[in-house]
Amino acid sequence: MRRISIYDILSLLGPQRGLRMKTRIKELRARYDLTQEDLARKIGVRRETILFIEKGKYNPSLKLAHDIAKALQTTIDELFIFEED
Amino acid sequence: MKDKLGIVLGIGIAAAVIVTLAFFILNAGHLELNEILPIVIVVILVVSTFYILWDRIKNIKKGLPAQDERLKITNYKACYYGFIASIWSAVGAPLLSGILFDHELQGSHVTAVVVLCGGLAFMISYLYLAHKGD
Repeated sequence: MRRISIYDILSLLGPQRGLRMKTRIKELRARYDLTQEDLARKIGVRRETILFIEKGKYNPSLKLAHDIAKALQTTIDELFIFEED
Repeated sequence: MKDKLGIVLGIGIAAAVIVTLAFFILNAGHLELNEILPIVIVVILVVSTFYILWDRIKNIKKGLPAQDERLKITNYKACYYGFIASIWSAVGAPLLSGILFDHELQGSHVTAVVVLCGGLAFMISYLYLAHKGD
């Protein structure tokens, strides 16, 4: 079993590294000439939800991510890009 | 159908609160400052309720759902904060009243504080989270 060092503890106190989510929803919407409202109506959510997902302020559920990907004729992998901070 | 029923119920309850408040103010005569504060909180809650209902009606008219997964999560989070505020106000209100004003709060007053604090915490956190995104 690995021993916990003082550096492990200090790293917990420092700034947290995380994943930042980027999406290609806006780009793909433009390709299919869809507004946020059109896409929201297609998948049955509110327009604000699409807006927050596009801005990376809301992490959608796997089902919603799948529905968006399907509506934009792509895959979840291609739609959501995760980058390290 | 379920969304529409919720909106109709919400409007009915908010209207009942307004009517009750109007009767109370008309019959109360001169109001002290400590009586005006709860009325102001109730008015804030009713106005916020009407804003949320108007927002839902607007979405239904556009053919969008009144509530989706993001708003359900927001609702759960706001309920949690409201619950925490209710518990702490139930504990803190009699204590603070005793320490600051040397006055023992009656049970009905504690209940009113709990309801108003819980309601206010729910409303503030709901509106904040709904505009913040997550």
